[in-house]
Amino acid sequence: MFERNQKTIFVLDHTRYFSIASEEYISLDFLKGKPSGDGGGPGAAGNAAGSGGGSQFSKSLWTCACESSIEYCRVVWDLFPGKKHVRFIVSDTAAHIVNTWSPSTQNMSHVMNAMVMVGVPSRNVPTSSDYSVIHGLRAAIEALAEPTDEQLAAMADCGQEDLPRIPNKGRVICITSARDNTSMKSLEDIFNTVLVQQNALAAPPAKKGLAIDHCHLVILNIVPLGVESLVTNRSLLKISPLLDVEIHTVSAPDISYKLTHLILNHYDLASTTVTNIPMKEEQNANSSANYDVEILHSRRAHSITCGPDFSLPTSIKQGATYETVTLKWCTPRGCGSADLQPCLGQFLVTPVDVTSRPSSCLINFLLNGRSVLLEMPRKTGSKATSHMLSARGGEIFVHSLCITRSCMDEAPAITDGPGGRVPDYRTAELGQLIKMSRMVPLKVKDPSAPNLSRRLPRYFPLTTSSSILFHLQRQISWLPHFLHLLVKEDMDKQEEVRCQQHIHELYKSASRGDVLPFTHTNGARLKISKAKDQYRLLYRELEQLIQLNATTVHHKNLLESLQSLRAAYGDAPLKSEPGASLLRSYTESPLSPERLEPLSSGSGSGSNNSNSLLKASKRRMSSCGQRSLLDIISSAERSQSNKRLDFSGRLCTPLGQVAKLYPDFGNKEKDSLTTGANIAPNVKEESIRS
Amino acid sequence: MPTLIALDASLSMLRPVPGRNEHTYQSLAIKGIQHLLDNLTAAGKLEHLGLLSYSTTAELKVDFTRDYDQIRQAVKKVEPVDKACLMSMLKAVVSIMSPWGNQNILQVVVFTDCGLGFGNTSIISFLEAYADKETEPEFNFLKTLANYNLNFICLGLHGDHYFTRGLAVYQQLLDKVSLKGQLFMTKPAKNTDAVEGNPNPNPNPSHKSELGRTTVFELIERLCESSYKSSEVTLKCGSYFRMEAPVLLWPPTAPYEQKSLVFGREPTTRHIDQRIEVCGFLALSDIGSPATLSRHWVLPKVEREKTGGSRRSGSLPPAAKPPKLNLDVSNPNYELEKLETDIRDFYAKDPKDTEESGDDDVTIVLKPGPQTEQQKENLCVLLHGALKMENMAALVKVGDKWYGFIYAFTDGKKKSNLMLNILPPGTNVIPWVGDLELLGFPEDLAPGETASFPVRADRRSYSQSSVVWIRQASLQSDVQKVLRHAKKMPDKTQHFYKELNRIRRAALALGFVELLEALAMLLEKECAHLSLNGASNECTLQLQHAATELRKTSNRDIKSTIIPLQKVGASEAGSTAATAPAAAYMY
Repeated sequence: MFERNQKTIFVLDHTRYFSIASEEYISLDFLKGKPSGDGGGPGAAGNAAGSGGGSQFSKSLWTCACESSIEYCRVVWDLFPGKKHVRFIVSDTAAHIVNTWSPSTQNMSHVMNAMVMVGVPSRNVPTSSDYSVIHGLRAAIEALAEPTDEQLAAMADCGQEDLPRIPNKGRVICITSARDNTSMKSLEDIFNTVLVQQNALAAPPAKKGLAIDHCHLVILNIVPLGVESLVTNRSLLKISPLLDVEIHTVSAPDISYKLTHLILNHYDLASTTVTNIPMKEEQNANSSANYDVEILHSRRAHSITCGPDFSLPTSIKQGATYETVTLKWCTPRGCGSADLQPCLGQFLVTPVDVTSRPSSCLINFLLNGRSVLLEMPRKTGSKATSHMLSARGGEIFVHSLCITRSCMDEAPAITDGPGGRVPDYRTAELGQLIKMSRMVPLKVKDPSAPNLSRRLPRYFPLTTSSSILFHLQRQISWLPHFLHLLVKEDMDKQEEVRCQQHIHELYKSASRGDVLPFTHTNGARLKISKAKDQYRLLYRELEQLIQLNATTVHHKNLLESLQSLRAAYGDAPLKSEPGASLLRSYTESPLSPERLEPLSSGSGSGSNNSNSLLKASKRRMSSCGQRSLLDIISSAERSQSNKRLDFSGRLCTPLGQVAKLYPDFGNKEKDSLTTGANIAPNVKEESIRS
Repeated sequence: MPTLIALDASLSMLRPVPGRNEHTYQSLAIKGIQHLLDNLTAAGKLEHLGLLSYSTTAELKVDFTRDYDQIRQAVKKVEPVDKACLMSMLKAVVSIMSPWGNQNILQVVVFTDCGLGFGNTSIISFLEAYADKETEPEFNFLKTLANYNLNFICLGLHGDHYFTRGLAVYQQLLDKVSLKGQLFMTKPAKNTDAVEGNPNPNPNPSHKSELGRTTVFELIERLCESSYKSSEVTLKCGSYFRMEAPVLLWPPTAPYEQKSLVFGREPTTRHIDQRIEVCGFLALSDIGSPATLSRHWVLPKVEREKTGGSRRSGSLPPAAKPPKLNLDVSNPNYELEKLETDIRDFYAKDPKDTEESGDDDVTIVLKPGPQTEQQKENLCVLLHGALKMENMAALVKVGDKWYGFIYAFTDGKKKSNLMLNILPPGTNVIPWVGDLELLGFPEDLAPGETASFPVRADRRSYSQSSVVWIRQASLQSDVQKVLRHAKKMPDKTQHFYKELNRIRRAALALGFVELLEALAMLLEKECAHLSLNGASNECTLQLQHAATELRKTSNRDIKSTIIPLQKVGASEAGSTAATAPAAAYMY
């Protein structure tokens, strides 16, 4: 959790020596590039004149140290944003803190801006003992003792409990220049002493900062090009239980290569070179040449893929001292191939050379949303796509893919499994719901927001053959809207009225004996028993649907009218035909009161609802046992009186206003009702409807 | 879970089992293998099996296949030859298993009489050679082997001294090399004293020994129970009871060892929940290819009922009842299930059967015979169809702060099935999807707020115009860019200054003041060169101005920017303009 690379501190020597040139010269001509054709003559003359003096220049040692250490943290922050921290301390007469462990200062722009303030070491100040890298090293040790946010959080988590102490390790990379081995030795000694002193401060009485468990000090002794150093290179050496030191002498222009090499071990990184990337030439756009781009990423991206018998092809780039894995670019096929590949791990990547043209071509290709599969040769001669590069959210990842044989190969098809041969799943309906329940990333989440269970319907038969309602909803135009109203969590009075009307419609068509428009029966007329069944089932299903969705008092009202309807329709274990016929005459009776309703302006309609609960329960009780004919008739009668609604126009009109009569004037069905006699013959009804 | 069955083909396997003259050790082993195949067939024939026979050398008889008949045939043809050499077999196993890599759980089932081998190929001499030389390359294969599950079906009698000694050495081998292994053996017979102290149990032919067909089958059952038990969970999608179904996850899910979130605590071993619930849906293109812990088929769980009952159901009404009988009145969903059954009956009725009175038992006789498993509706199939149609995946919660995706996976042969990808535990495991606990529905957004995938990260160095001049070529290309714009002034004046300031800022950050001077010189040269070629006045003026500004030490601070020379006036181009830079210079 708190590895050694969690904290890295660069200590940059800002003494006078660092203002000298690195002696690697850049000529102005080089900067200018090849002289263009038209300005050949005068340009060449100018160059010739300039070459005498001042036309070449060099980076200072400071610039070399600065740019290479910034490059180091570019890689770290690209690959481990917010996880691994790098600090800079500049040392001359005192230590200058460039940034802190705080996330707000752990980024490139902060460091670059702060470095502008630091500036070049002055050439004009006399050498004095005040100027030293020691100040910086002391400050670095203090910085190591400061906890990072993660460490603070972990300490807070541990609280008072008796848990192991938070580990606090770190690495200090010091870029300096020492005269000889003796001065290097004294540097080490001072560092070690300060480290011990710091830990003494952190010990119980003072408790100043975190104790430092271990520190890895990397000293880069830099010299201008061509200058021999008296300091000898030394690999990792244990100075004390607290301190390991290694010393590298490098000429200033090579310091970046050295750090790139070191960073691989510091952060357990690996290098991959994507080969054979086809790129259009600037000069002739018709042809394309192949380029290679080297990227860095966590070593696990390689190791996770390699089984015991798979090894990735490696090579060593010219001038480099580390191995890179060479994988071949595969020109991407379809877009969908990038989704849900069997991925073992995803790791951020960063190009080794971020500004080169091939790198930026590859980066832009990826950032534009395309993915690239990378191929490695197998021992058998075949190829395997072992990795994939893709960019998401502005970050580029390498995905390690599973290339071994998988037990998931040769899938069993779902159609061969249980339920695979059912033809009428409500796939399209579920598909709609899925689309409507597509998730988005939120900034904050209200815990009371409805979850998926509340979003999905409470009644959802899987197939159309197990439902009457959902079978019919394609055939009956008003049914989908009705169903939509019924499941509304915030049903209001007006919607209840609409629903009541629909229930009445059903009721009426049931009493007329209309055949519901099933597709299965091909429109063939059902026998009476069958015709009755269809409504019984329809009512039952409707009742279940409302019951599952009953959230408001309106739902309860609807449920009651439906239950009374069921009772009226004799949806009980009835077998006697005469009962049914008698019933029919009753079920048709509500037509007349409804017609009369506008005239008899009922005032106490509200009380109906309160009574109905009691009645409904009675009804249910009576509907289950053995019932006599009298019971049936009287219960039907009771339910009728219950069912009587207030004039719907009044229900829709705000209190105190005059209700409009016949708002639906012209509606065929309504018309037919008003003209119909008490017991309208079925045949007539049908002829009007058709 | 690819499984390699290894059959001991040493001559000792030909011994008759004491007290069971009808069996040899080999015939028992073959019966055991057949029983294992029977069990795996019943579980859906999903495992890949291979068969290996071994004596001095190991021979792969059947390569990994789901066609178990091949193994049934091949196992009969194994002929014992010489002595057993366990170590060479294990070495062969490693190379045979290697194509599976380390992402699969690999099983080895060894059927053996636990012979120890002879001479330098024996297990004992191996253990002697291995001691203190674990790191030698010749023992490398053991590290791979340690990832496999080794199951030994040990055929022998507890009264048999050679067998019990063999068991001890096998266990010692597992412990010393720290292999994941298990020895399956029969329980010692109760009346052990009858055999104990008698090194050769043969003299009691009348006494049935503890080893026989049934006991071997018991060993196989124990093996299947411990290693081939599929994970059974309930998949829930919404609140309707039909949208919840028992499913099998295959291959079985493995426990996950999770590091403690609080520092210093012991890691905890986690299993996925018994009920996994769909939280919402995401487009496959939004998910991409995140790292997954494991992948599993989501298969409908089949109620294994006796097949005999349903066949008779057509003729006898009582036999046709079972589908109705399982509608338990106490079931909370009784009403709904009954309704569904009735609706199905309603549809199933042939319109021609007009003579039926309606809803009594007679109709049941006439409806088509009981549905086969394939004809019973299943949530998995519906979900698969809808997800496939919409190209979406269901986000499922498999545990506390632990998620996965269910989606329709189609393989190269166009066979499609429902697949579950289990993500590593945690809520922030896919950077571009963001915190999984913070996913919600568009309705949950604050008014005016919009949200979409991917969740954007901070800009990385490669998505902003970084300046890195470690290679001279990149410095060169940056400078060239400025010069290119310089030539095209006044059209490109803004671009020129933008690039110029970018370079200047970077140079200041790196303390590269030498570059500023060099650039100023370059600009002056360019200016001279361009004026010779009759470039526009504006151009030379701006170049002169820029060069001057670059040299100013007062400009070497973070806030300052070089701004273009203000045009003095379009009319007074010539003489007045010439003084302008001078003025700027003096200032």
